[in-house]
Amino acid sequence: MKEFRMMTALAAVCTLGVTSAAADDIKVGVIAPFSGPFAQYGTQYQQAIEAYQALHGTTVGEHEISFIYKDVGGVNPDQSRALAQELLIRDRVDYLAGFTFTPNALAVGPVITQSETPTVIFNAATSAINKESPFYLRTSYTLPQVSIPAAQWAFEQGIRTVVTTVSDYGPGIDAEVSFKTAFEEQGGQVLDSIRMPLATTDFTPILQRVKDDAPDAVFTFLPGGPPTFSYTKTYNENGLRDAGIAFLGTAETEEVNLQGLGDMAIGLNTVYHYSPAHESEANRAFLTALTDLHPDAVANWASVGAYDGVHLIYEMVKATGSDGPAAIEAVSSLKWESPRGPLEMDPETRTVIQNVYIREVARDANSGLLQNVEKGVIATVGDLGWTQ
Amino acid sequence: MNLLLNIAVDGIAYGMILFMIAVGLSVTMGLMRVVNLAHGGFALMGGAIAHWLIEKGGLPFVGAAALAVLGTVAIAMPLERVIYRKIYGFGELQQVLATIGLTFLIIATIDFWLGSSLLGIPLPETLQRSVDLGFRQLTAHRMTVIVVGCLVILGLWALLERTRFGILLRAAVDNRDTASALGINTGHIYMATFALGAGLAALGGILGAELLPIDAYYPLRYMVLFLIVVAIGGLGSILGSFIAALAIGLVETAARYVLPDMATIITYTLVILFLATRPQGIMGRAS
Amino acid sequence: MKLRSYSVAGVMLFAALAAFFLFPYNLAFLTRIFIMIILVLSLDLVLGYAGIATLGQAAMYGAGAYAAGLFAIHVWADPFAGLVVGAVAGAALAAVSGVVLMRTTGLTLIMLTIAVAQIGAEIANRMREITGGADGLRGIRPSKILGIWDFDFIGVTGYWYACAVAAFVFGLLSVIGRSPFGLSLRGVHESPERMEAIGVSVFQRRLIAYVMGGGIAGIAGALSAQITQLVSLETFSFTLSAEALIMLILGGTGRLYGAALGTVVFMTVHHLAAANDPFNWLFVIGGLVLTVVFALPSGLVALPTSLKRLSKGDRHARS
Repeated sequence: MKEFRMMTALAAVCTLGVTSAAADDIKVGVIAPFSGPFAQYGTQYQQAIEAYQALHGTTVGEHEISFIYKDVGGVNPDQSRALAQELLIRDRVDYLAGFTFTPNALAVGPVITQSETPTVIFNAATSAINKESPFYLRTSYTLPQVSIPAAQWAFEQGIRTVVTTVSDYGPGIDAEVSFKTAFEEQGGQVLDSIRMPLATTDFTPILQRVKDDAPDAVFTFLPGGPPTFSYTKTYNENGLRDAGIAFLGTAETEEVNLQGLGDMAIGLNTVYHYSPAHESEANRAFLTALTDLHPDAVANWASVGAYDGVHLIYEMVKATGSDGPAAIEAVSSLKWESPRGPLEMDPETRTVIQNVYIREVARDANSGLLQNVEKGVIATVGDLGWTQ
Repeated sequence: MNLLLNIAVDGIAYGMILFMIAVGLSVTMGLMRVVNLAHGGFALMGGAIAHWLIEKGGLPFVGAAALAVLGTVAIAMPLERVIYRKIYGFGELQQVLATIGLTFLIIATIDFWLGSSLLGIPLPETLQRSVDLGFRQLTAHRMTVIVVGCLVILGLWALLERTRFGILLRAAVDNRDTASALGINTGHIYMATFALGAGLAALGGILGAELLPIDAYYPLRYMVLFLIVVAIGGLGSILGSFIAALAIGLVETAARYVLPDMATIITYTLVILFLATRPQGIMGRAS
Repeated sequence: MKLRSYSVAGVMLFAALAAFFLFPYNLAFLTRIFIMIILVLSLDLVLGYAGIATLGQAAMYGAGAYAAGLFAIHVWADPFAGLVVGAVAGAALAAVSGVVLMRTTGLTLIMLTIAVAQIGAEIANRMREITGGADGLRGIRPSKILGIWDFDFIGVTGYWYACAVAAFVFGLLSVIGRSPFGLSLRGVHESPERMEAIGVSVFQRRLIAYVMGGGIAGIAGALSAQITQLVSLETFSFTLSAEALIMLILGGTGRLYGAALGTVVFMTVHHLAAANDPFNWLFVIGGLVLTVVFALPSGLVALPTSLKRLSKGDRHARS
């Protein structure tokens, strides 16, 4: 820390016209994709942050809180790290936030440890990230956190045989392994575990194989967007639904692309931590603030991750201003009511303990839009992948 | 036995979709010899217009698809005049750069217009139904694509081999100066052929959207896939692209049935092995 | 000629020095420019000099990055040793694939280079236990450079380190470019038939150039692994190859300072556009690319000549 202070001082001397930030100004640097195929994430974050500030003001005590947005493009750890350095050195931010992809989050680990900057992850869901630096906090979720309850719930529903189909990359495999272990512990049987290459465009062969195995359910994990569309389409058209093979997913029916899936999504079951259809005062307030500011905005897990992340930052500022280690300590077991339901920070994993819901896609009678209707809370859990 | 039948049916259906999305490129890049990386951009245009007409305009699928193809052609013709006409004579790299630049502009425009989320093109009820083949089901949509694919290949064959336009086109492509000297209006022929390629790209984008869903980044996401079909088929040969698309469809489908997690590696390894032993592609003329 | 190339080198070193003092807060970004310059230089050797059309230079970049990263974690964290390992890995991959690839040309060659990069990415993705898969290879902690300079937080060491490596590669390539081998490469590029006729093996020359280019791309990859301390699957991505190609053609192929200029312009425009209006930055870059193709077909390096002609009222300024 000493070394870091010296370095920033050195850098400050190098340039003219540096206005040192007033003591009561708190800056938060948000690193997220604002361009390219994943620009949606950055947009969601920014809209949710604005909604939070509309509801709770831009000041905490005597601190004025402002956000600086930086575009990382996509999976680009080089850029992520460079942006973090720029934010910390030039903009003198007190907190970092954002991070959609795991490599981008991991790349700033050494930087934030050195500068002791609390860093709130809005999305990246690999459990091990938080082990890389004590300054990471996570308001999204981890894959075991939703996959394990999914397995337990499926068994309770009388499902005994499952085939897992996951995209063949880190998050997919985390989901597969967690689900499989938990389901077999319950006494269920995983007939087959298929890993689908990320470049898969035609899911027919894979789902035909699932159909031939005739399990009670198919568990799946896919990255959002185009693959989800083709997968659910094929699930319906190849008669898996008609054959009574239940669909069990996590983020597949994510709200931004849900309307694009159309009627074929109706009835799909997913296990997840947030649906904008959640019935609560906090959620309604969030959605109202969001749509007041951005009439076209659609809330999804990325929005709520950012919203709760900002809450965490506000609480840290309230407790300690900009003292990194003290700030982390201050919120280490914070509890609050989030739009997704009750939340609590886990001091060990620094990931939120939250409700996991079972949802089903249905058409809303009033708006005519598809939504994930919560059928019930199936578990309240922290990061179940921490000790794996 | 059932597995082989499954592979055959799904492989052909997938291959036909590949053919439909790549045939437009086979025309512009194969026949006209333009390294046309913007092919996916025209497919995206078709898909985006169709999406907009169905979702916002309430048009039925067939009408929207037809209008979208025409709309794409209407945009492609001035683009041919302004941009492509100038780059026909450029080197390959300049063509790569120009068409990538154009692709960026198309993506940015669609992104600006409709956003970056999925642009669904809902199919009519009749095409969504599954047809019982006896041993399994296949959707009416895929059967339609197979039929349309066959019609396209027959139509192109007739157009290129049996009409005066086809003769003129081949003359213009083989030796543009001589063709011009003989009084052939090569400018019009090039524009018509380019419009044909763009129209087919749009049609392929719309019909293939079930497998390769349309969104603003479609052209970059699937660029490699289109190029592989044309490269394997051999430049200048529509029939080659047809055979290549079916072969790739069958190989990839077989890999996904038997060793799904290895499918990508298997496909690319076979592509390398094939192109290394036969660089000119299936039907390409040996250089 | 010689004087001119010295002055070009002088101007570039001066620019590096000036950038350091003018933008002390952007050192991390400037360091990325150096790394990218090295990658684009490797592409210039392969494409600009030897005329090998490739859209898969990222394959060697990725191989170098992973090799250097793994070497630093498991064997020795010395930065220069890492660069050597990266260079060897890049060259080795180029040699193995080049034996097949260099026999082909045109579209076939382009497709093969793409396929090699895709397979590289898929292998790195599948070997999760070793590479970290999609999460990225983490835990790379390069030791002090020459045992003296530690990689610091601001990125001062990283900046000068990357600058020195880029200058070394630049110098190496200008020597190669003027050597008999470099001249024979241009011959192979411009008239392969004639070169065959005078007894030069075109295949062999192309392969050697490809391996050298692969080694340099490997150095760029290794450098990025050391600076970022993390390697992701994106090091193999088609986008990276395509962007490097755009930067090269933007600057002008076949001239080393063209590669440097194109990289600086592209990355700076990207940086500014992304900072001001990330959502629409593709409009900017698409427009820039088309402008260069039509107004400056030989790249930005031709700009002074074009302007000179314009000012003299030459009507054929564009030709």
